[in-house]
Formats: sequence, C-alpha cells, structure tokens
Amino acid sequence: MHLVDRLLATDRRIIYLLVGLGALIPLLIPIGLPVTVTPPVRSAFEKIESLPAGSVVVISFDYGPSTAPENDPQAGAVMRHCFARGIRVVGMALYPLGGLSVAVEEINKVAAEFPVTYGVDYVNLGYKDGAQAAMRRMNEDLHELFPRDASGRPIGELLLMQEVRSLKDTDLVFSFATGIIGEWWINLVNAQFGTPVAVGSTAVGTPKYYAYLKAGQAVGLLGGLKGASEYERLLSDHYPDVARIYESPLLYTATQGMDIQTIVHLVIIALVLAGNILYFTSRIMRRSSPGGRRA
Amino acid sequence: MRRQLPLVMTFIAGIIPVIALFSPHPIVVNIAARADRWLVIVYAFALLLGVVSVVQSNSRKIARRDKGWPYAVVLLTGLTVMGGFGFLGNFGIFGGITTTPDGRPTPFQWSYSNVFLPLQATMFSLLAFYMASASFRAFRARNLAAGLLMVSALFVMFGRIPTGEAVPFVPMITEWIMDNPNAAAQRGIIIGAALGAASMSLRVILGIERSHLGLGRGE
Repeated sequence: MHLVDRLLATDRRIIYLLVGLGALIPLLIPIGLPVTVTPPVRSAFEKIESLPAGSVVVISFDYGPSTAPENDPQAGAVMRHCFARGIRVVGMALYPLGGLSVAVEEINKVAAEFPVTYGVDYVNLGYKDGAQAAMRRMNEDLHELFPRDASGRPIGELLLMQEVRSLKDTDLVFSFATGIIGEWWINLVNAQFGTPVAVGSTAVGTPKYYAYLKAGQAVGLLGGLKGASEYERLLSDHYPDVARIYESPLLYTATQGMDIQTIVHLVIIALVLAGNILYFTSRIMRRSSPGGRRA
Repeated sequence: MRRQLPLVMTFIAGIIPVIALFSPHPIVVNIAARADRWLVIVYAFALLLGVVSVVQSNSRKIARRDKGWPYAVVLLTGLTVMGGFGFLGNFGIFGGITTTPDGRPTPFQWSYSNVFLPLQATMFSLLAFYMASASFRAFRARNLAAGLLMVSALFVMFGRIPTGEAVPFVPMITEWIMDNPNAAAQRGIIIGAALGAASMSLRVILGIERSHLGLGRGE
C-alpha cells in the first residue's frame, strides 16, 4: 500500500488521540488567548447597558446539562452584567431536561457574588411545561402560570413579583437555548407582544439566529462558548468588580474554554486540509499510473 | 362519533388561536386564554404519558430479556431514583426538590450535579471526537458545491478562534459569511418550514390530515 493510501486509512484512534491532547493540554497549561468582540455580542451587551437600574430582565434557562459548558458561561455573564448594573432578574426554565436544576445552580452561584437579595433583586420561578402556550400566558399573567417559585414559595409574597405581573412589566427576555425554544421566544414574545428578545445559543444552533438578528427580531446573540467569552471580555473591560470575579481560579470561564476550543478547531482544520490533500494526491497518482484512468 | 368528535375538537382547538391573533374581542381573547391554560395542562399529561411509555417499553424489554436489557434496568433505576427524589421533594421530604432551607443541595440536586450533569456532558463531548474523525474521512471538496461548503466552514471555524481573529480579513470574511449567505439560507429554510407547518396545520384543522387521530383504515 502506498504511503498516501496508508495515511488516508489512518486509524481513527490516532485522530481521537490528537483531539484528546488538543483538549487536555490547554486545560493543564492555559494559554489565555485574547478574544475579539463581534457585533451580535456587542449588540446584546449594549442592550443591557441601555437599561436603567431597576429594570427587569427575564432569563430563561432553556438548556440541559449536555450544553451547559456552552450555555452556563453565557447565562452567568449576562446575570453578572444585570446585577452589576442594578437590573433585576426573573429566572425561569422552559426546557424539561435539567431546566430547573440548571437554573438553580447558576442563579445561586452568581447571586452569591453580589449583594443581592432573593425576592427583591432576583427570583427563580422554576420550570414550566407548555412551551408556546406558556409563553402566551406569560404575556397575560405570570402569576397564574407560576403560582409558586422554584422553592415552592407563593410568588405573590416576593416583592419583585408584586411589581412584575406579566411579561409586559419586563424590559428584555434573554433565552439561553439549546434547541428551538429560543426561536419560540423570538417568534411569539417578540413578534406578537413586542418584548425585546436576545438569545444565547449553542455554537451549532447559532447560524439560524442570524436570520432573526438581521431582521431586528433579536436584539443580540451570544453564539456558543465564543459568544460567552466575548461577553466576559466586555464585562471585564467595563466593570472592574466583575473582572475580579473572572480572575478567580475556581471559576470556570468561557475565556478559559476558548483555549481548548482554539486548539481543537485547529486540529480539525488541519485534519480537513490533510484529508483533502491526501485524497486529491491519491486521485492524481491513480490517474497518472498505467491503466489508472480506466480504474 | 369516534371519528367526528375528535375532528370537531381538533377544529375548535386549532381555530381559536388563529382567530385570537386577529381579533381583540374580549370573548375571543377569554376563550383563547382558557385554551392556553388547558394546553399547559395537556402538556403536563404528555410528560406523564412519556414516562408511562418509557416504563412500559423498558419493562417489556427486561421481561423478554431482549438485547441490551441491562441498559433498560439502568434506565428504569435512574427514572425511579431521580423521579422519586423529585416527587418526594415536592412534598417537603429530603428538604425540597433542589436546595434545603439551609441552602444544602437535596438528594435530587446532588444526583443531578454529580451524576446526570457529567454523564450528559460526556455524551455531548464525544461528538468532538466523531466530528474530527468524520471531517478527516468524509469532508471532501469533490465538486464545486462541496468545495464552497468546505471553504466557508474552514473560514468560520478559523474566524471563530482567537488565532484566526488575529489574521487580517479573516474576521471580516467570517462575519460576512454568517451575515449574508448563511442568513439568506437560514431565512429560506425558516420561511419554507413555516409555510410547510402552516399548510400541515390547516390540513389538520380542516380534517384533511387525520393520521394523528390514530384511526384505522376506512374509519
């Protein structure tokens, strides 16, 4: 077998090893590569910057554990931004697989970093099924849809929820979505009720949201880990107190994750290029060999 | 009756939100609001139906000792344990569903953080390995369309990492690809899917499409 054909038939375990090392090495030896902020992320950031203190932002945890490494840093960054600006947060989840637990973990973690009080500055309404029907009801009466918060407390007792009766009393919805739920927020809540919507999507789901972003139906977009790392950079540049939080070695940040993503992307790019070079070399060699054209 | 009643119910349930979107009349709005409330409750029953279906199919698998039956045991054990923690937590047993009044994680939350979350993350992470292997073996510029797709993919992958952003014009080209060809194609897909969904919904509302009723031939 010729060398080119042998390379084309490389054992997949070698490729797995390359990817594994590409993920492991930056994890052990952080590189700290700087990220550049793209317009969709800047747009989301500026939307929250434009809200006065005391505004209400709905943060919907529409993702499960499988995409948490991408969505968690996005949700964390946006919540930190809100708390740093004195914006109040209404957390909820419309995704059944882990929605409630994801929201509880992330909200508790971020709230502990700021002098905020549950029920006054933020609430966690928990998970609600019904998706689009639930969204329609939210525009009329949040209290009917979520009679109790995630811990079972009647939401009428919470100071923040006494002011927020429906989505009409909120200034922005930020959905962190693993699937189609982000699109539902845009199609229903923005298109029909006019509430501004921004989305934090997984990298694989990001391309479809560009259509909504260009149409002005989404006010911002955080695409995957990269989007989260850009938001973290904007936050660190504008808020020194938040920058100090991100410097903590105990906190997993999207910026750290970008080191791994960079190396793995480079490995995959190299593999695509190598695969094509070998493929065309092999074809040329077959054609130029005696009787190759017939074969 | 077995055929007509579901068709009438489908028609009423389907037509209410359509009318409500265009009519602000209080009667219509009230009926639509009530329908939404019912829909949320129906969704909850759909979840319950899903659980019953999973239990039934996996119990059968275990009883028959079908191929892979030990996995069914693991699945049912997981469902019972997590479901049990969640269900009992709802009644205040174990201190609640997620966190106890003193802030400690409940057994449900602990199992979620230490078992479910790492397992799901591991499953999703495996995709990177398969994608890398597939990209080496199958991502070939065999013709012009495949070549364009490959060049776009390489630009977007390279432009989405800090090293690529440092190369002149790469970020600009990446954003152009996402803003123009990508957004245009996505619009086409979204509009096409919406038209398809609208026509299918009309067929269901008008009773032309009846397969969802599960009626036998000739019914």
